[in-house]
Amino acid sequence: MNNSKFTGIVLPIIGIVALITLFSSMYIVTEGKQAIITQLGKPVGEPINKAGLYYKVPFFQKVIFVDKRILTWDGLPNQVTAKDKKFINVDTTARWRIVDTLKFIQTVQNEQGAKSKLDSILDGATRDVISSQNLVEAVRNSNSILEKIEEKKQEIKRKREAGEPIVEEEVSGEIAQIDVGREKLSQMILEKAKDDLANLGIELIDVQLRRISYEQSVERKVYERMISERQRIAEKIRSIGKGEKAKIEGRINKELKQIESEAYKQAEIIKGSAEAKAAAIYAKSLNRNRKFYDFIRSMEAYKNSLSGDTKLILSSDAEFFKYLR
Amino acid sequence: MKYSTRGTPPPPPELQLLANFFSKFKLPLIIIILIAIGARTSFYTVEPDEEAVVIRLGEYIATEGPGPHFKIPFGVDEIIKVKTQVVHQLEFGFKTVDSRPAITKYAKRDYTQESLMLTGDLNVADVEWVVQYQISDPFKYLFQTSQPVKNIRDISESIMRRVVGDRLVTEVLTTGRVEIAGDAKVLMQEVLDKYDMGIRITTIKLQDVNPPKAVQDSFNDVNSAKQEQEKMLNQAEKSYNRVIPEAKGKAEQLIAEAEGFAKEVVNKAIGDTTRFNELAIEYKKAPEVTEKRIYLETMEELYKRISGITIVDKKVKGLLPIFSKQEVVK
Repeated sequence: MNNSKFTGIVLPIIGIVALITLFSSMYIVTEGKQAIITQLGKPVGEPINKAGLYYKVPFFQKVIFVDKRILTWDGLPNQVTAKDKKFINVDTTARWRIVDTLKFIQTVQNEQGAKSKLDSILDGATRDVISSQNLVEAVRNSNSILEKIEEKKQEIKRKREAGEPIVEEEVSGEIAQIDVGREKLSQMILEKAKDDLANLGIELIDVQLRRISYEQSVERKVYERMISERQRIAEKIRSIGKGEKAKIEGRINKELKQIESEAYKQAEIIKGSAEAKAAAIYAKSLNRNRKFYDFIRSMEAYKNSLSGDTKLILSSDAEFFKYLR
Repeated sequence: MKYSTRGTPPPPPELQLLANFFSKFKLPLIIIILIAIGARTSFYTVEPDEEAVVIRLGEYIATEGPGPHFKIPFGVDEIIKVKTQVVHQLEFGFKTVDSRPAITKYAKRDYTQESLMLTGDLNVADVEWVVQYQISDPFKYLFQTSQPVKNIRDISESIMRRVVGDRLVTEVLTTGRVEIAGDAKVLMQEVLDKYDMGIRITTIKLQDVNPPKAVQDSFNDVNSAKQEQEKMLNQAEKSYNRVIPEAKGKAEQLIAEAEGFAKEVVNKAIGDTTRFNELAIEYKKAPEVTEKRIYLETMEELYKRISGITIVDKKVKGLLPIFSKQEVVK
């Protein structure tokens, strides 16, 4: 009776307590996590960075896990005024990692707490760095664009010399030499924020300028400029078209006149020389028989010139009427 | 109380039987069930497009390829399958709504935040692109970064802006597409490699690259101006082709006619003079007779034709008044 009570009730209770104690004395650190043991709220020992099964004092020690992976910080877009008084929105992201678990837990407790610190530190650093530079420094990374502009200029020069019509279709913009460049600016933000974050047990891996955009009013102005420029270029293209058309029409008229006059000239030369030749033939032949020509040509002329209804009053003296008298 | 509580109905015979069975073989049954569950959960299959990361008590053990594999059951081994063969795609500036083949639709509401970017000459371009990537190392993909996809997105946006930021807007809108995509791919891979997150970019492709919506009309206007120019030139060339060949033909006609005329004149001269010369030879042989003959023949022919001949004797005076004044004038 007593024995069965022991096996029936006490044994299972002891078993359950033993199991709970066992589980409470083991913990698993999974990949991508790191842990620190606290004993009654006080951290004990080194943080655990390697994944696996670990043991601790049951009930009195607690495990706090934090992430070991690279974490992402995504800030809200910041309105910043660049050094050249351009209003822009800057949107940055950063990657960070908890490197000093203890410090991290002591200063910011968890990722939530870290985010608000990151917000203020990184926003501040971004603002400081971007506003100390001209906008273009945050947009471009090198001066390679200047070489391209130089190339374009050469080409336009060459075209101008060749007399080709030039439409500078390029959208004009502001091209300035840069001294720092986008990547360096990211680096500068990183450097500025790094030490503050190190105090929180955070390693800042990188800062990326994700988006940089004009503030709306500036954007509108840029668009207006682009539009008016396009309109100007469209007009120029149209007028060049008209010019080219006029050129061709001029060429048509020129060639037409040339062809027609050339033909007229040649025709007249041909006719003239033929007439001259004919005249020479006549002269050569007639000169030999001048008297006969006089006579015969007169006869022919009478025949040809007097028509049927001519009225003639002739004297009977005429040779023809000799026998009529 | 409206409802009378009735006693629970007796369990159906089948359940009764089961209950009896349980009470008889309690312990062995539990062991059998445990073994069955253990056997059931101690193997797993990795599909051909996957790899499996094996985590034992939290610790990374191995990455297994496709096929059936064993593991330790009861939560000791955890298996995480990752699609390593699949090419994943991220879209920037637009979003494919329905990608069933042949009816790919794009939603284009407002992704301009993503796609609008500053160019090197401080203009704005609207660039849409896709990034395709594969998971090259499933363990790193899972455990190196907390938000791998967000990282890829962020880096892609940042790098695309960096590449576009180093170019003129004209280049971005026209000739630069391939180069931009190529540069972006290289730079993006560089950054991702720095994180060592097990991602390999396979392709970056630019989709629509446009001027911002607000200025698009004016860009189109330039294009239509070019078309107009082309059209105008074509018209001019057309009228050139219509007029000039015709004029050339007419010119040749004129010259040919002149040549015809020349032949005619010369031939006539030769003909005339030959006839005259022949006649002159005969004339010289008997000039007076010939002259007389020709004179008379000519007059004969002439007078025959002429109807109004008046022969007046020399002695007749004052004849003229018989004609009317008018005819005299004539």
